[in-house]
Amino acid sequence: MITRRSLVSALTARKVSEWIVVERAQEIAIADEARPVRRSDLRTRFTVVVHLDVTRGRGTAKLELASLHGDALDVVDQALDLAGAAVGPTWHSPPPAAPAKVALLDAQLEKAELAAVASEVLHSLIRPAGTTVTAAVEILREQVAVDASSGFHTRWIASAIRGSALLALGDRSLEVAREARKLDDLSLGQGLLDAARDLALLATAGAPAAGRCALVLRSDALLHGGGLGVWSVFADHANAEIERQGLSRYRLRSPVAPGAEVIAEPLTITSDGALDFATRSAPVGDEGDAVRRFALIERGISVGLGLSTREAARRRTDPNGGVRNLVVGAGTWAGALPARRTIEIRRLRSLSIDPYTGDASLEVSLGVERSGTTETVITGGTIRLDLVGALAHAHRSATIIRRGPYVGPEAVVIDDAELLA
Amino acid sequence: MSWNRREVLGTLGVGSAATLLWALGCGTPARPVVLAPQQASSEVRGWLRDAVARLATKYPVVHALAVSRRRTTGAVDLAGTGVARARRDGVVLTIRDRDGMWREQVTADLSAAGVLAAVRLLAGAVPAARLDLPAPPPPPSAPAKIGDLELRNRLDAIMRSDRAGSSRIVYASALIDIDDVNVWSIAPGHDREQQLRRVRQRATRAAWNGTRPVVSEVERGWTGAIEDQDLDAAEVTRASTNALQLLTPGTFADGEYGVVLDPEVTAMIVDTAVRGLLTASALRRPEIAARMIAGAAVAAPGLTLIDDPAAAGAYGGFAFDDEGGLAAPITLLDGGRVAGRLTRGRRAGHVGMLEPGPSHLRLAPGTVTTQELLIDGWLLEGRLDAVLDPGSDRIVIGAARARELKNGSPTGRVFADVELVGALAALLANITGVGKDTATMVTRDESSGEPQWTSVTAPWVRTRGFVRSRRRPT
Repeated sequence: MITRRSLVSALTARKVSEWIVVERAQEIAIADEARPVRRSDLRTRFTVVVHLDVTRGRGTAKLELASLHGDALDVVDQALDLAGAAVGPTWHSPPPAAPAKVALLDAQLEKAELAAVASEVLHSLIRPAGTTVTAAVEILREQVAVDASSGFHTRWIASAIRGSALLALGDRSLEVAREARKLDDLSLGQGLLDAARDLALLATAGAPAAGRCALVLRSDALLHGGGLGVWSVFADHANAEIERQGLSRYRLRSPVAPGAEVIAEPLTITSDGALDFATRSAPVGDEGDAVRRFALIERGISVGLGLSTREAARRRTDPNGGVRNLVVGAGTWAGALPARRTIEIRRLRSLSIDPYTGDASLEVSLGVERSGTTETVITGGTIRLDLVGALAHAHRSATIIRRGPYVGPEAVVIDDAELLA
Repeated sequence: MSWNRREVLGTLGVGSAATLLWALGCGTPARPVVLAPQQASSEVRGWLRDAVARLATKYPVVHALAVSRRRTTGAVDLAGTGVARARRDGVVLTIRDRDGMWREQVTADLSAAGVLAAVRLLAGAVPAARLDLPAPPPPPSAPAKIGDLELRNRLDAIMRSDRAGSSRIVYASALIDIDDVNVWSIAPGHDREQQLRRVRQRATRAAWNGTRPVVSEVERGWTGAIEDQDLDAAEVTRASTNALQLLTPGTFADGEYGVVLDPEVTAMIVDTAVRGLLTASALRRPEIAARMIAGAAVAAPGLTLIDDPAAAGAYGGFAFDDEGGLAAPITLLDGGRVAGRLTRGRRAGHVGMLEPGPSHLRLAPGTVTTQELLIDGWLLEGRLDAVLDPGSDRIVIGAARARELKNGSPTGRVFADVELVGALAALLANITGVGKDTATMVTRDESSGEPQWTSVTAPWVRTRGFVRSRRRPT
């Protein structure tokens, strides 16, 4: 039987240069109306990172274990075998730093029976009148313990809730998904109300005409697919390894896009992995590196990178846990639309972003086109954007929302974009 | 620009498994890795039969599913070889209340104590009981063990079979990925066990074209012994040839064209359409349910599509599904008309949530040669991605290359990263030719960290649609 203790003993017995063991004991409850089913899952997962220092340099291996059966010594031998086969230039791990102080556990879920809570969430879900809703909720409670060869040890308990629903009105439907650390932050009911409003609009939608236009991206379009949505382009570009290779457009201490630093409201983005109850927060990362809050972009200038332990060592600085939750600075836009043809994008069908160039394709699911006093609901069409440049120059709303790993403007206005039919 | 192996892999998006990335190394001699033996089949069966007997005293519908999985991944690239192994066990106990609610208890502890603990969590302290279950099947024959040395030799053979030998190739790798899966399914009406070995071989090549890397992959997958099939020299060389393909500068005019789709692209469309329109969960959407009624004409009359998990050697195949139902083909489209829907339950990694999904899809081939399909327009090759909006039926299909055709012959103009866009129904209705040659594509996706194995056999197809360049002019 593999346990954290047996892994630590085996690593000590094999005299491994440096190691980190992360144990995640997880309880998961799922309530799903579609089948309908109530599911409980108990599992333990281990992450073992070993650094093997030899005369040629340092080799590193990372193993993920999802089985409790086996011998810890065998696991360690395998990790050493892999590390020995991946020796690269020498680097030294920084001394352990204090874990970030961050709240990750919803007090309501600390001792609750998760299956009962999941059922209750579904039962109490506010469903828009006249619609059919089929919803599912997944609740996770996990105890995480981290041990390292340096003597570093920390543990914490975290919760996470994911809600999803299919909302049908007449002969149309939309999917809604939300995630949060706290039940009170899930806001699946509000998501359903917004979807019901948009479904009613969809019934009147027509195909758009191709051409150039201004865009207003609303929250469901901005954060399409959950997570960071369009803002993920900045997380990709702030990856220190990719930046060092020169494969991203992101250059430290340079504007993120030409002219981005001289506009009226330059863009400021902070990565905050220590934000209470944000979905990407944690005290330490999987390599035992302390998670920190740091600026990615300040007033249009790139100033920070997400640094893994290895990348931080190469740059002779401290790791910061990588890019996690994004806090995007608010603007002053209060809803006034540009005078030209403007399309307010409410929902997307898909969003694809080239992580290296920042080129993006946005497939429009629902939009409202305004030209003069005419208002038309549209569906379909593709928008092509240089997302880095477009967001760097966008006008951001004064209204702030918080959803999953994102805190920032509820809407942005992009002055010029191309719509393809 | 100097890249190390891990960086190149990460940058090019090659080698999806994190384990694989860490495994790729400098080729130090391998030490044998000894893994704990998998649980004896009879032992696991005993625990599950006991669980079913206990649960059946309280619930009318009971099912126990257990899995023991091992993954062996070997990879070689320009600088070295690595082998990684991983293991996952799981048990899913399912009951159905008298009020119709399904309840599942899942545990990663595949042991007598672990199964009993799951029973207690699900049903409380139910006493041991006697239940007449069908006789257990004979134990399946265990697949041959594959040592690290054998794996490395096979990887080297794939690397050596490349006849292109160009110095423009900046990255080359080979991968062998083996999933050994033991699944037990026991319920009051059945006692089944299957042992599957799924093998996937892949060769990857990358070369620079202007300022962008062009990555090309060829892949082959099957269920059976590792020696049953091999990526042959022609396939590996094709990966290099595609990566080295010189592309035409600039872009072409977006517009409606005749297109010929290679089997990779056809398979991607078939897979996307089935998942988006023909599963029981997709049909919960009213707009799809209204469109995909039995007998509705949704494609050209020549199209017949079958999901066949019992197809010999199919990568996505199985002997029984995760509800214990024996594998049997389901005809989804018959002569272009809706004939069925996918309802059989599959669990990601045999432990995830039960979701209807495809196993091995087979689009029936036609009678014409590939050459006869070629017309004026574009030949679209190499799958990238496909996005279907089930509500509006709009599909965007990404292909790696578009070759211009005139009078049935390539003009030599080739563009990378193109999209075929439009209504799926129109794309399928516009099909005017189905080739007799087919190819099989395999997919090993992960959902919540658990694998899903599927495969699609598809022919060349000629249709018509809106083609546009994905890359912005630079």
